[in-house]
Amino acid sequence: MKKPVLREVNDSMGFYALLALFGAIILIALGATYYMEHNGHWVTGMNNQIVWGMPHVFALFLIIAASGALNVSSIASVFGRYQYKPISPLSTVLAAALLLGGLMVLVLDLGRPDRLIVAMTYYNFKSIFAWNIILYNGFLAILVVYLWTQLDQTKNKYSKLAGFVAFFWRLILTTGTGSIFGFLVARQGYDAAIMAPMFIIMSFAFGLAVFMLVMFGAYKWTQRPLGDAIVRRLKNLLGVFIGAVLYFTLVFHLTNLYATEHHGVERFILMDGGIYTTLFWWGHFVIGGLVPLALLYLPQTGMKRSMIALASVLVILGGMAQLYVIIIGGQAYPLEMFPGMEVTSSFFDGVVGTYSPTLAETLLGIGGFAIAMLLVTFVARVLRLLPESLADDVVDPHHSKADA
Amino acid sequence: MTQLALVIDLNVCVGCHSCVTSCKQWNTSSYTSGSMTDLNPYDEDPNGTFFNRVQTFEVGEFPNTDTIHFPKSCLHCEDAPCVPVCPTGASHKREKDGIVLVDYDKCIGCGYCSWACPYGARELDPREKVMKKCTLCVDRIDDETLPEEQRKPSCVIHCPTNARLFGDVHDPDSEVSVAIRERGGYQLMPEQGTMPANHYLPRYKNKITIHEDELQREDNPLKKEGHLPDPGSRASSIEDYSSF
Repeated sequence: MKKPVLREVNDSMGFYALLALFGAIILIALGATYYMEHNGHWVTGMNNQIVWGMPHVFALFLIIAASGALNVSSIASVFGRYQYKPISPLSTVLAAALLLGGLMVLVLDLGRPDRLIVAMTYYNFKSIFAWNIILYNGFLAILVVYLWTQLDQTKNKYSKLAGFVAFFWRLILTTGTGSIFGFLVARQGYDAAIMAPMFIIMSFAFGLAVFMLVMFGAYKWTQRPLGDAIVRRLKNLLGVFIGAVLYFTLVFHLTNLYATEHHGVERFILMDGGIYTTLFWWGHFVIGGLVPLALLYLPQTGMKRSMIALASVLVILGGMAQLYVIIIGGQAYPLEMFPGMEVTSSFFDGVVGTYSPTLAETLLGIGGFAIAMLLVTFVARVLRLLPESLADDVVDPHHSKADA
Repeated sequence: MTQLALVIDLNVCVGCHSCVTSCKQWNTSSYTSGSMTDLNPYDEDPNGTFFNRVQTFEVGEFPNTDTIHFPKSCLHCEDAPCVPVCPTGASHKREKDGIVLVDYDKCIGCGYCSWACPYGARELDPREKVMKKCTLCVDRIDDETLPEEQRKPSCVIHCPTNARLFGDVHDPDSEVSVAIRERGGYQLMPEQGTMPANHYLPRYKNKITIHEDELQREDNPLKKEGHLPDPGSRASSIEDYSSF
C-alpha cells in the first residue's frame, strides 16, 4: 500500500482565479450588508411577522452543513475507518470554513452586529441562543486543535482523542441549533423535541453533499487522481443520509398531524401554504430527496461522477428549501391567539405573514458560501491538506477484494 | 412583589385606536423608547413600530354576531418567555414592579424574543435595529415630577371610554384586582403558562329576567274597583281644594 502524501495545491492561475471569484462575491455581500445596515432592516423583506429571513436560511444551512462536513473526519477517527484518513484534514477545514461562513451571515444579519462584543461578554445561560454562541466558538477551537493533530505527525497520536471530542461537540452543537426551534413553544410550527435529532441528520446530509462537491472540485482542478472506491462509499453514505432526512421529516409531520392543535399549521405547510407548500413538496421532497436518491442508486447514474455531483447539488438546494419552509413558513403561519376566529387589524395580525426575500439578503447569504470556499481554497494552498492521490490503491488496497 | 399591569374592559372598548395613537405619540417623544421609526406612514403600505395594536374579530353566527375589539400590547407576563431566551439578558423583568423591559444598549437585535413571545408583542425598530415593546410608559411611572394621577401609561389616560385600568394586580384591594375579581377578568392564552399580568374584562350584556306576575300588583286597589277613575277634564281636582 502506498503511503498517502499530503501536498498543498500549486501556485496557479486557477488558484488565483478562484480567490478572485470568491473575493468578488464576498465584496458584493459586504456591499449588500452595508446597504441594509445603512438604511435599516425595512429595506429587507423582513417585518414584524417574519423576523428571520433569507440570511438566516443561508446561515443555518452553513452552520448545519459545517457540523456534517466533519463526517469524513469522524468516520476516520471515531469509527476507525482508515480509508478516510487521508482526506480527513479537508473535512476538518471545510467544517471550520462553513461554520465561519455561516456565522458571518448570522452576525451581519443581526440588528446590531456592532454589538457582537456584548453578545460575547454578557451571557444569559438560560438562553439556548447564548449556548449556541459558546458551542460555535468552542467548535472552532476544537477544529483547530483537531486539524493540528491530523497534520502534525508528532501530534498524530492525539487525533483520535481530538476526533472524539469534535464528534460529540458537533452532535451537541447541532442539537443546540435544532433546539433554537425545538424549544419554541410560542409558535405552532415548532415546539418539537424531534427537531434536534432531525437537524443532526440534516447536518449529515448537507455537510456530506458540500464535502463531496469540494472534493470533486479540488481533485478535478488540481488534476490529482480520485478513485472510485472512496467516491462509491461516500455516495452510498449520502444516500442513507438523504433517506434518513426524509424519514425524520415524515415522523415530524405525522406526529403533528396526530395532534389536533397542529392541524392548522400542517395544512398550511402541506396543502395550502402557497410557496411553502411548493417548496416542501417540490424543493425538499422531490428535488432534495427523491431525485438525488434515484441518481445515487440507479445503476445507470449511480457511478457517474457528474450524476453524483448533481445529486449533491440537489441535496444542497433541497436542504435550503427545507430550511426555508421550517424557518420562514413557520413564522408566516399566524399566531393563534383566538382559535377559530378570523382576526383583522391594521397591523397584519391574524393573517399569513408575507415575505419576499430581497436581493441584498440573498447576496449576503451567498457571501457566506463564498467565505467558506475562499477559506478552503486558501488553506489548501498554504497547508499540506490534500492527498496527492486518492486513487483506489492508495485509499484502500483491498477494495477489489472486498467488493468481490 | 408589586406587579403593575393593565386591565382592559372589552365591554366598553369601541376600537377607536386612541390607545394606539397616544402610545405612539408619547413613546416616540420619550427618551426611553427612542424614535419608534415610521416608514412610509402615509403611503399605501405603511410600516412602523407600534407597541399597542387593536385586533378585531367577530363572535357568533350571522345574524347573531358581536364584534370584539381586542387591544393588545406586551402583557408583562409574570413568567415571561421572552426573558430567558434573550442571549445577552437585555430582555428583563424589573424586580420592583414586574414590568418587562428591554435594555436597548444590550440588545443585539437577534429577534429571538420575537419568536418566543406567543402574543406577538415584540417589534424590531427597523431603523434602530433593536427590539422594542410596551414599557407601560415606565418613564411616566418613574417621573416623580408628574402629578400622581399622571403617573400611568399614556393609553390609560387617553382612552375615551375608560376601558383601560392600571394598577398592581398583586394588591387585592387595588382597582384592577377588584375589577378582575368581580367582573370575571381573564388572561390571554393562560394555557401557555406565561401568567400574563394584563387581564381582560369580558363582554357582557345586562339582562334581567322579569316574570309577568312580577309586574302585576296583587293588591292593586284599582283592580278592586273594577275600572280606572276617569274624572272629566272639567271635574275638580285636588288643586281646586288646596289652600293656595
